[in-house]
Amino acid sequence: MLKELLVEIGRADYISKYMLASKMNQPLGLIEDVFTQLIRLGFLEEDEGLSTCDLPCGRCPYASMCNTNPIKTINLTKKGQDYLTSLLN
Amino acid sequence: MGNTIALVGNPNSGKTTLFNALTGSNQHVGNWPGVTVERKEGEVRFRDKVYKVVDLPGTYSLGAFSEDEMVARDYILTGNPDVVINVVDATNLERNLYLTTQLLEMGVKVIVALNMVDEAESKEIYFDVKALSGRLGIPVIPTIACRRQGLDDLLAAASIKIDSAKNGQFAISYGESIDTKLITLKSYLSKSELAIPLNWLAIKVLEGEEYALRIIKEQEALQGSTDFRSFYEELAVHRDEYQLDIVDARYNFVNTIVKGTVSRPAEPKTTWTDKADDILTHKIWGLPIFAAIMLIVFQLTFAIGEDVLGESMAEGIEALGEIIKSGLVSISAPWWVTGFVTEGIIAGLGEIIGFIPLILVLYLLLGLLEDSGYMARAAYVMDNIMRAVGLQGKTFISMIVGFGCNVPGVMSTRTLENRKDRMIAILINPFMSCGAKIPIYLVFIAAFFPKHGGLVLFSIYFLGILMALIMAKIFSKTLFTGEVSHFIMELPPYRKPTLRNVIRNMWDNVSEFLVRAGTIILTVVSALWILAVLPVGVEAYGPESILGRVGSLIAPIFKPAGFGTWQAAVGLFSGIAAKEAVVATLGMVYAGVSEGAELVSTIRSVFTPLTAVAFMVMTLLYTPCAATIAMIKKETGSVKWATFAATYTFALGWLMAVLVFQIGSLLGFA
Ligand SMILES: Nc1nc2c(ncn2[C@@H]2O[C@H](COP(=O)(O)OP(=O)(O)O)[C@@H](O)[C@H]2O)c(=O)[nH]1
Repeated sequence: MLKELLVEIGRADYISKYMLASKMNQPLGLIEDVFTQLIRLGFLEEDEGLSTCDLPCGRCPYASMCNTNPIKTINLTKKGQDYLTSLLN
Repeated sequence: MGNTIALVGNPNSGKTTLFNALTGSNQHVGNWPGVTVERKEGEVRFRDKVYKVVDLPGTYSLGAFSEDEMVARDYILTGNPDVVINVVDATNLERNLYLTTQLLEMGVKVIVALNMVDEAESKEIYFDVKALSGRLGIPVIPTIACRRQGLDDLLAAASIKIDSAKNGQFAISYGESIDTKLITLKSYLSKSELAIPLNWLAIKVLEGEEYALRIIKEQEALQGSTDFRSFYEELAVHRDEYQLDIVDARYNFVNTIVKGTVSRPAEPKTTWTDKADDILTHKIWGLPIFAAIMLIVFQLTFAIGEDVLGESMAEGIEALGEIIKSGLVSISAPWWVTGFVTEGIIAGLGEIIGFIPLILVLYLLLGLLEDSGYMARAAYVMDNIMRAVGLQGKTFISMIVGFGCNVPGVMSTRTLENRKDRMIAILINPFMSCGAKIPIYLVFIAAFFPKHGGLVLFSIYFLGILMALIMAKIFSKTLFTGEVSHFIMELPPYRKPTLRNVIRNMWDNVSEFLVRAGTIILTVVSALWILAVLPVGVEAYGPESILGRVGSLIAPIFKPAGFGTWQAAVGLFSGIAAKEAVVATLGMVYAGVSEGAELVSTIRSVFTPLTAVAFMVMTLLYTPCAATIAMIKKETGSVKWATFAATYTFALGWLMAVLVFQIGSLLGFA
């Protein structure tokens, strides 16, 4: 499943864990787990973005209205990329 | 002392509840040696025997990812528990059984407490416990820890397990190649005297786990064998492959265990989330939908913010201003106090206060949009366009942040690894119209386009994005060339935005906004006010004041854009200090033009609709505020780039404002 997911991620432009869960016919929690596994094994990298705007917002009048919902992005690491390439060859 | 039972489980599996249920008040808390992880121990009496119960930290895995994991792993390997009770959350079986699989690999005696079966039942998840137990080769006992149900069965199973031999068979295959490697490795390992389970060690070696590799390194006998060394080196070559295959094998094993032993309600094939995403992220429709949503947001902002709330607010301010002014006059305060308070503060700050409802509503709506999860979709939709101009889509995330404030906007480009992406993202961020510019637009909208506020504001933001994209394309063709790096965006599930929370915070927002904006405005306006009344003797706020003279010096460059007055020039330049100050500054300098009249009507008399548009375009594009320039310097590490950012934006803003005015005049607009 890890490989399957890695291949999916390699192909995709965006990831919706929900969609992957229904596509692979697995519970969502499991898909999340597999993601975590891929991250801890170093195939993927997760980037939470700036999850807080406390720091630079400083004296900004709009600071309290600042929405800090991060948009998460995922990158294939070099390890992940190399692995996918080797899989295709 | 009797036998030892160790409790292991995922976080939130109910492990603590079970531990408390088993041990009652018979427990003490300490620390595991060398780490800050809490160690809990207790005792339980069952059928005239006393068992020691050790509660291990909650963990998903038994590797080396966190202290918790290591503590749990080390205790199971070297603490010699007589039996391990694996607490499993029945509502989340697959995830929990992953840990169980690792326990089985370790070969320790395990029993499963299938906890939260009540919760599972309420979710219509049912188990064939006997089959489950058969496939795992270990006892599985359903429990409801919080109601103390199943505890006796659990302890009975534990005591039997302690006295019995090892676990039953469980069939996990990691694939032929790995299985053979494991057999060979185990036969090598069996020659050394190792205190840890060989099977587990062999698997961990293939997975390349530090802990296991270290043990191998310490085995002199192994290291002395050339056979082993070449075998071992061969393993390292395929490590990535093995890592994935082994973890995969565990998941597959879990899948085969669960299949047929667990029944749960079928999940709908396509959820409405998928359907919504099909539409919202559509290749063609995604973008127009995004535009339409933003337009609606701006329209609503004006509908709610101005028509409903704004009127009363503005009237209130005006009345308050009058009261303060007559108060000051009646106590015959010195001229400069009255002047500073009425022309400086009330005229300046008052304008901003009048627009607070609008700003609040806009942020409220944008906040709701973000809370709902839509912004991630918008960022994805923009990704396609960003790529077309040679940028990666993550850039759009920093742009969204820039709509609030360019300072964190510039800072958030940190997450772009590639220098090219990063530099471009920094340089175009100032075109994202920040919150502090909103009052400036609002003044001009109120003066000239009160009926079309939403549309005007939308067009301004749109122009900002457009200019950003155009400049990005130019930069990526000239200054920074290179590859577009690839990344994947995660679309979070949609959520119902919590309107109640947002509204509850509204008052906090207003007061905080007032204090913070007030401080900034007061600072800038006070400084400018002094320049506006000096030198002593000249007409205050007149063209002969220091401020007037400086403004008049600059003003001619804005002539071609149609707003070549010294007041407009001063207003724009105050914006380089802080954009919040522009409206207040205009309020102050125009207070001299038509005594006492409010800013909007003064603006109406000195600008035309066309020059107003030119001024707004200038405001949108010209030099960002000092804080942003400082952040650009910090993030690029270069004064040169900061200066470039400050000047090219000014040049571009000027050029666009001139174009608007000149072309507009040619076309007969006024
Ligand atoms: N419905 C239900 N809830 C449980 C059960 N066992 C524990 N809980 C609840 O699940 C939550 C997490 O339990 P806790 O013992 O703190 O989990 P831990 O993180 O594994 O220690 C608590 O709110 C418990 O009250 C159970 O068998 N059924």
